[in-house]
Amino acid sequence: MFGELVKGLRTTLKYMFRQPVTVQYPEVKRPVRERFRGRHELKRFADGSERCIGCSLCAAACPADAILVIPAENEPDNPRSPGERYAATYEINMLRCIFCGYCEDACPTNAIVLEHQYELSFYDRRASIFTKEMLLVPEDQGHGEPPPVLKQIERRPSPPAQIDL
Amino acid sequence: MPDVTITVDGRSFSVPAGTNVVDAARMGGIAIPVFCYHPRMPAVGMCRMCLVQVGMPKLDPATRQPLMDAQGQPVIALMPKLQTGCTTPVSEGMVINTKTEEVQFAQKGVLEFLLTSHPLDCPVCDKGGECPLQNLTMEWGPGQSRFDYNDKVHFEKPVPLGDLILLDRERCILCSRCVRFQDELADDSVLGFDHRGRNWMIVSKSDPPFASKFSGNTTDICPVGALTTADFRFKARVWELSSKPGICTLCPVGCNLNFDMRHDRLMRVMPRENGAVNDIWLCDKGRFGHRFIEHESRLHAPLIRHGDHFVEASWEEALTLVAEKLAAVQSARGGSAIAGLAAPRLSNEDLYLFQRLFREQLGSNNLDHHLGSPDDGDHDDLGGLLAVGKGTNLMELGAGTTVLVFGADPEEEAPLYLLRLRALVQRGAQLFVANQRATKLERSATQALRYSVGGELALARALVRELLERGAAERIKLKHSGLDALRKQVLAQTPEQLAAAAGIAHEQIVALATALLEAEHGLIMYGAEARSAGLALIETLGALAVLSGNVGKPNSGMIALLPGGNSRGALDLGVRPDARPGYVLMPQRGLPAQQLWSAARDGHVRALWIAGLDPAACLPDAREALTAAEFVVVQELFMSETARMADVVLPAASVAERDGTYTNAERRVQRSRAARAPHGQSRPDWQIFQDVAQMLADMMVLPHPRVEAEGAKPAKAAKGAKTAKGQNEQVVTRPPEPPRWDYLTPDEVAAEIAERVPSYGGVTYEALAATGNPGVWGRQANEAVFYDGTSYENTEGIGIALPSLISTGRFTLSLSPRPAPVVKDERPLLLLAQPLAYGGDPLLRGSLLERQLAQPAIVISQSDAEKLNIQNGDRVRIVSAVGELSAAARVHADLPPGLVMVPAGLPGLCLSRIQTGPRTRVSLVKVVV
Repeated sequence: MFGELVKGLRTTLKYMFRQPVTVQYPEVKRPVRERFRGRHELKRFADGSERCIGCSLCAAACPADAILVIPAENEPDNPRSPGERYAATYEINMLRCIFCGYCEDACPTNAIVLEHQYELSFYDRRASIFTKEMLLVPEDQGHGEPPPVLKQIERRPSPPAQIDL
Repeated sequence: MPDVTITVDGRSFSVPAGTNVVDAARMGGIAIPVFCYHPRMPAVGMCRMCLVQVGMPKLDPATRQPLMDAQGQPVIALMPKLQTGCTTPVSEGMVINTKTEEVQFAQKGVLEFLLTSHPLDCPVCDKGGECPLQNLTMEWGPGQSRFDYNDKVHFEKPVPLGDLILLDRERCILCSRCVRFQDELADDSVLGFDHRGRNWMIVSKSDPPFASKFSGNTTDICPVGALTTADFRFKARVWELSSKPGICTLCPVGCNLNFDMRHDRLMRVMPRENGAVNDIWLCDKGRFGHRFIEHESRLHAPLIRHGDHFVEASWEEALTLVAEKLAAVQSARGGSAIAGLAAPRLSNEDLYLFQRLFREQLGSNNLDHHLGSPDDGDHDDLGGLLAVGKGTNLMELGAGTTVLVFGADPEEEAPLYLLRLRALVQRGAQLFVANQRATKLERSATQALRYSVGGELALARALVRELLERGAAERIKLKHSGLDALRKQVLAQTPEQLAAAAGIAHEQIVALATALLEAEHGLIMYGAEARSAGLALIETLGALAVLSGNVGKPNSGMIALLPGGNSRGALDLGVRPDARPGYVLMPQRGLPAQQLWSAARDGHVRALWIAGLDPAACLPDAREALTAAEFVVVQELFMSETARMADVVLPAASVAERDGTYTNAERRVQRSRAARAPHGQSRPDWQIFQDVAQMLADMMVLPHPRVEAEGAKPAKAAKGAKTAKGQNEQVVTRPPEPPRWDYLTPDEVAAEIAERVPSYGGVTYEALAATGNPGVWGRQANEAVFYDGTSYENTEGIGIALPSLISTGRFTLSLSPRPAPVVKDERPLLLLAQPLAYGGDPLLRGSLLERQLAQPAIVISQSDAEKLNIQNGDRVRIVSAVGELSAAARVHADLPPGLVMVPAGLPGLCLSRIQTGPRTRVSLVKVVV
């Protein structure tokens, strides 16, 4: 019996001198895996334009109906995203979101990415709705080139659509 | 047509001969993919998507009999190459294979080839989600392309084809559906192809570009996202929309449409299929003209006048004030000191409760649905009495049908009728267009009769005379009177005299009379220009319909194009001074709108309730009357000129914000449903009437001032002269207890209408929801191939066609003619108020059509212009007996001399200032600056 007691205390003593498994959250944060799905970010292209083209496919794919997209037409002189269309409103309800990542899969321009931020708590429900301003990454943190379908590559400026009468 | 038996993919079934292979296969439940073929248009075989393998039974050259093989089966000779299904008619014994390897190889090839010049920008394309190209590629196409993206043809993104339609040339697959729709269905050849090879593209050929009232339909039938509307561009994805079935109230056709809503906002308007009304089409006015329902200037709360400004009030306050004031006027001066006008766009429920409120609660017969302007004309009863019979469906008509369009411009007054009538002609019907000027429909006519200015009555009489001479009178089966007087009148002049007065060759008149007489189905449509000639003409047209035997049966009768979406409902439901609902004549007539303004000015009418009309905008008389009146209630969507002069302004819910039924020109009752929450605090009109009536009922004990009972014994003719004299025997009985004012929903009102108004019997919401027999109505399972994104299948009810009143046997038709209206004015020119689709309708506000509103102009003929040395754009003045008006002149080559045409209803050009009646004579002066 005494033997068992010593055996148990030995385990306790062994762990006393080991590094603790727990981390002192929130002072210390545990790193997450590369493919962890946390808070969403709306990415940009390297030229600073928004990757999101307002196609609403993320909203269509979302099983929790957490995403709202209201699209609009780009001003030709001052486009926000490549191509004709951009998201005038982009909102994600973080209380609804189940972080399944389907929106990422659906996105044709890799605009929405579930990143590693996981500290999502709110004092009221309204605060759980993340707007486009909150989700968009800063302008200088873009990457990549717009796909050719959205670029004005080799567009034939072709004659006007109305012929002379 | 005889049936032929064909075998599609091993299944044998019979289809009518002459059907093309695509349609025939569809009848057997087998889908053949198509892009360019559309069942509403002749096939062209441009896209090659419908390639199928076709085989015919081999014939013995000697006996011309099918050869049989060893098993006794006919030997099939397959055609050496694949055939386009849409251009191949079926024949007896034909064998069609749609799923062989060869066919699938061809389908994949065609799709891959189409996609070589398609950008595949589906995520940003408005068609994405309802795109035939997407769907067909998924089902029949190859999984991948061998074509490098950078080798694709790229065009600049959208080019406007007009104000309303944008073209994305790289998405276009050049199926020519839009070009063919414009050429063949709409008769506006404004689109065409230009350039060649990979630069082949759709262009607009007109100035202004894409000038057509049906342009929106091209975006529906476009099988890709090449044509999109400026109205719905990038507003939402189609799968996010929730479609709410509605009825268009902008014209008397009553097109079925869907309000596509998202988050309670109107995204777009789409046609809803109804073969008997609008087929799968919708005019641009209906499609783009519904932006008013969420216009920022909508009234959102009741307003009460305090001195010279309005103060927002609660409904309780406003309604109490209305009830108290009306009760005060009623008790001090009686019901005849109160008058009500209701717009002919309100629903049947509104109109019915409006007249009940006035007749039963206020004891007033001063009711009307006209503005009270000089050119209002008489109430059109014949359009109801001799209306097209129950079971009318223009879609089924073709050969054997004669249509006479008299004094109407359907393209402007009721645009969809242009498409329907053209389709009739294409199916073999005869279309006669009688008018004093050129209209667009004339181009589609079998024969156009251009009568001289003011010669319409002579033409109608000449036609009646011709029919009488052929003994048509003996064949009348209806209860009628006054035939001898009619005979006497038309026989007073020789055919040559009448033909000369009408300015039309006698042979043409004979041809038209023959066509009407011999027709299996005969339709007579008349519009604003015919109505302006007075009841004498309309009744002669009625006599023409009766004598040619084209009344009281399906697909035959008269169609009156009246202003507003529900004028027929207003007439049927008694929003008129002389008759109760169901054309039951009143012994005591109230004041019609025309007499109202002077009565109000002189103090005989002290309180006015105006629902949805804006008489103050253009009628100086009305302004005076509204100033003089003690109390004015205006129930409106917007702060109109009339509303500005009101004591209480009540915000009404628009057509998209409430349930209701509407009666169209063919007397089909259709139900529209609420698509969104009412704007602000606005309420449906029927609810406002009910609330006030309830308050009045609580406030005073009013003996119901009804002397005659309705339904006890049906009244006699509701026709013309009788109406005016009102000399009908009425059985005086104790009226039944009127229903209480406690309707919870409009369907309770509709149920009461069905119960109390004889001709509306059975028109309940439940019955209106029917869509006909399954199998007969509705689409086949695989028809998405044709209709993807073009329109919505009608699952919400196709409405109920009311029987024409004459066929109910409760009315006697009076054929006795009335004398032609005498115009004493000696002025040389006849003023014609031209009704325009894009006229000054205040409901077009906020829409893209605002840019296309008609410009104020005085349109004169070439010869009059030359006589007075007037050039296009010169300022001219027209002077009538009561006033004058000036605007820029527009010289019109197709206008007959002696006619001056001015767009009606334009806010900047008030015709009512110079009108002396339905017909005004004017003189023209050039203004020298």
